[in-house]
Amino acid sequence: MTIRLDPENNETRALFDLAEFGGKHVLEIGCGDGRLTWRYAGRAAHVTAIDPFAPGIARARENLPPELQDRVEFLHAAFEDFAAAHAPSEFDMAILSWSLC
Amino acid sequence: MHALQEIRFLLRPGGSLIEIHPVPEGPLIEVRRHGRVLFATPTRSTLDEDELCAEEALAESVRGRLFGIEGSAEFDFLTYASSVAELRDFMAKESAHKEGPEDEAEEAAKAEVYSRVEQTWHAVGEGAEVARRERARIARLRPLWDRRERRSTNES
Repeated sequence: MTIRLDPENNETRALFDLAEFGGKHVLEIGCGDGRLTWRYAGRAAHVTAIDPFAPGIARARENLPPELQDRVEFLHAAFEDFAAAHAPSEFDMAILSWSLC
Repeated sequence: MHALQEIRFLLRPGGSLIEIHPVPEGPLIEVRRHGRVLFATPTRSTLDEDELCAEEALAESVRGRLFGIEGSAEFDFLTYASSVAELRDFMAKESAHKEGPEDEAEEAAKAEVYSRVEQTWHAVGEGAEVARRERARIARLRPLWDRRERRSTNES
């Protein structure tokens, strides 16, 4: 057996109970290997997912499902650098996933 | 706090922030068989400083009227493995990129916990499964703006 992460979909259910993704431009901060990104990206207009850990981003890009390739971009970046390089009011939603502090 | 200020800056008016973080009490390790929990033990003897920091940063952002909380909930995030070693290796890889080494006493306590879990897992025998149960908090926050800030954001 391999590792199984949240097979009950508790995290996804809690996320969908709180967030409406339809037509939204989403910024995910601390996306890791894209584990959570896959679960909601199909509902969003576009997702920019960033993480400062390069191997995680490499795995996320490798495993990006073909049907999500036109709407998800994974960037290897620290949030401070990303924020400094972006204009205000660019995103409809930010997801800070397991990465505050 | 600084990250939350930057996030607020990147959000459009009417945007929202979804924040997810585990509770400071830390996860439980469970030994299960056929879906039944036979044994459960906490992995930490102290509260997790990083998660306390996350809770304080959020609370401060609300006190400082950067964000207002619109909704929140808790859920259990479970990670299943077929052996204790597999779970331990996975968690070590997952936390390898985190900054700073773990406290020595916490490391020793964790090793002791895994040793007890391993014994129980062997005692249960065939069909034994090990799971890590982490309680997490999720919240939807709405940026709060005063009139002057909104004007300067629109002008920029």
